Amino acid sequence: MQIQPSDLGLIARVAELGKRYGSGSGSVTALDDVSLGLRRGEFTAIMGPSGSGKSTLMHIMAGLDSPTSGRAWLGDTDITELSDSALTVLRRRRIGFVFQSFNLVPTLDVRGNIMLPFELDGRRPSRDEQEWIDELVETLGLGARLRHRPHELSGGQQQRVAIARALATRPDLVFADEPTGNLDSRTGREVLGLLAAASARYGQSIAMVTHDPIAASHADRILFLADGRIVRDAGRSSAEDISAFMLGMETAA
Amino acid sequence: MNGRLRDQGPTLLVATLAAAFGVALLQVTGILAAVLAEDDVTGSSGTVRLMLGIVASVFITIAVYVSAVVTANTVATIVAGRTRQIALLRLIGSSARSQRAAIAREGLVIGALGAALGAVVGSASAWVLGEVGVAQGVIPSVERSLLDPVVLLPMGAVVLTTWLAAWTGSRRVLAVRPVQALGNSAEADLDEVSSRVGRTVAAWVFVILGALLLVLGVLVGLVRPEGVLIGLVGGILSFTGIVLAAHRVMPPVLRAVGSLFGGRPAARLAAENAVRHPERSARMTIGIVIGVTLVTTFAVTMESYRTMLTTAFADEPALQSEIGPMVDGTVAVFSALIGFSAVIAAVGLVNTLSISIMQRTRELGLLRALGFDRRQIRAMVLVEAAALTVAATATGLVLGVVYGWAGAQSMLGSVGGAPAIVAPAIPWLIVAIVVVAAALLTLAASVAPMRRAARVSPVVALAVE
Ligand SMILES: Nc1ncnc2c1ncn2[C@@H]1O[C@H](COP(=O)(O)OP(=O)(O)OP(=O)(O)O)[C@@H](O)[C@H]1O
Ligand SMILES: [Mg+2]
Repeated sequence: MQIQPSDLGLIARVAELGKRYGSGSGSVTALDDVSLGLRRGEFTAIMGPSGSGKSTLMHIMAGLDSPTSGRAWLGDTDITELSDSALTVLRRRRIGFVFQSFNLVPTLDVRGNIMLPFELDGRRPSRDEQEWIDELVETLGLGARLRHRPHELSGGQQQRVAIARALATRPDLVFADEPTGNLDSRTGREVLGLLAAASARYGQSIAMVTHDPIAASHADRILFLADGRIVRDAGRSSAEDISAFMLGMETAA
Repeated sequence: MNGRLRDQGPTLLVATLAAAFGVALLQVTGILAAVLAEDDVTGSSGTVRLMLGIVASVFITIAVYVSAVVTANTVATIVAGRTRQIALLRLIGSSARSQRAAIAREGLVIGALGAALGAVVGSASAWVLGEVGVAQGVIPSVERSLLDPVVLLPMGAVVLTTWLAAWTGSRRVLAVRPVQALGNSAEADLDEVSSRVGRTVAAWVFVILGALLLVLGVLVGLVRPEGVLIGLVGGILSFTGIVLAAHRVMPPVLRAVGSLFGGRPAARLAAENAVRHPERSARMTIGIVIGVTLVTTFAVTMESYRTMLTTAFADEPALQSEIGPMVDGTVAVFSALIGFSAVIAAVGLVNTLSISIMQRTRELGLLRALGFDRRQIRAMVLVEAAALTVAATATGLVLGVVYGWAGAQSMLGSVGGAPAIVAPAIPWLIVAIVVVAAALLTLAASVAPMRRAARVSPVVALAVE
């Protein structure tokens, strides 16, 4: 019998993943034989220099893009084999996203944005889910803002709405690509605190791409990518250690 | 800056259509006048020529007006989509005025190009029509040069209005602030909602005054057929008011229509999209409203007229069989002439819709990432197009029936001798044609954007510009 990712306590796994853009001499290898597993309930940070393949890795793990070689699983589902419509449903039900910017649908108010994943699924939240959403709205301090549209909110508030939406369905895994990239450092820290709390308190699995050592220091685990390969897999680290390693990577390159 | 002129392809098409229509119409009336002058026994050809000229200029004015609205809208939409780029140029030191002037200059060039193309196309079509007429023996062959200086009028009008429309449409350039190049990307949607009080007041004055005159026309019409002239003025005034206030009138209609499509996420978002820029949606729909209203008004009046004649001559079938084709022919010719403006408006709608879909690529990517499947994205675009055309068509039909009835009532209320109420007669054939045309327009407007929207990959939502 084959061992499933979930048997290993993994929420997501990729094996011998390769991604190549273009062909011939002009081709770019964004990912080169990457294998890794993300553990259930953990907050994982993915770091690395610009162009090292962080976003590409995340896109493939989230079923937004397909690899050139290798496989990717979410839970026990091999997502490299899924059709576009199956991937759509998977994203709707089992994955949450927080982007760097442009997270919200401009024509919907805060409430509409948070409820969107349920609506897309053609259902209302159950009583239990509704309580969870209310709690999220409360914790994220959005209670007074539910009827506001995105352009009436600050960047930090928008990002909190995105987090509420990403957590609302209690997805298997939340992906965040530089969620603090557009925020000032204080607001950024707040947002990170919220993500870390979601993971610590509710056991939410999160994968976050970031350039910021302070942001990464909130994570349980830090993966470093360089030139499309994983070069280091570290546990929780201080911002100083992370900075030192990043600097070392740059000088080595 | 080549990209700019490429964006303007549809504007060129609109200018060309308007100019071609104007030129063709004048050439055809020229031919008709020449034919009439040929066997002028009564010496009345001067009057007929004048009448033809007046009728032609009414239709040309409508077409040019609609094309100006369409052009202003296209330019405004393009400018709205370029806010960031404009802001960036402002940030590095370009002045808003010079950017706006550049857009207006493009309008002038495109207007001139369109007028020239239109003159050729219009004259050629009129010539072909004339030759066909001669070959069929409908009209005698007459000597007439196509180089009639009168065609310079519609050409000039097209150049001027395209220029003006580009200028008006680019007004928003002035409102772009350099910081918008840096800001984060949540878009302030109600950008264009104008608080231009003057316009609203004028619109109200026109509507109220016009409505009063319409009522007066109907009342006078009970005793004298001249009531229709009062009614005509009332109709023109009140309709002008409605066109002026389109940005207030259309959004509620669009909302109501949007809610008809149900509460599914795709439909709800589509309904919201249709009203997210009230000014833009008003301009997208108003051309169609104008076209449908005019066609319906005319058809309802004529149908009521026909019904009245049919009742009056119930026992003279020979007369009836003569009246029928006459009424039908008149309705057909007038509908076709007005319908041309609706075609120009339709070009504008198709174009604006696809531009605005293209500008929403990131938003579409976001929806795809969050779990919209391709079918839902397509449905969203289709419903948005449908909401726009249904709202425009329904408004036009309702207004047309009201105006048409008022026209028939004030013209025919006294004809039977005693004051009488004329029942509004609905020309179902025309209504059916309008509805089918609207359905076709919806499909035409959504095919390309649907395809493009469904192709958007969810990855674009995550990409940072
Ligand atoms: N659509 C694409 N076409 C061609 N090359 C691409 C494409 N997307 C990414 N790449 C290349 O793949 C490599 C990895 O890109 P990726 O976006 O994953 O980097 P990243 O680590 O997220 O960088 P950053 O920190 O700057 O966001 C880069 O060299 C990039 O140029
Ligand atoms: Mg990246």
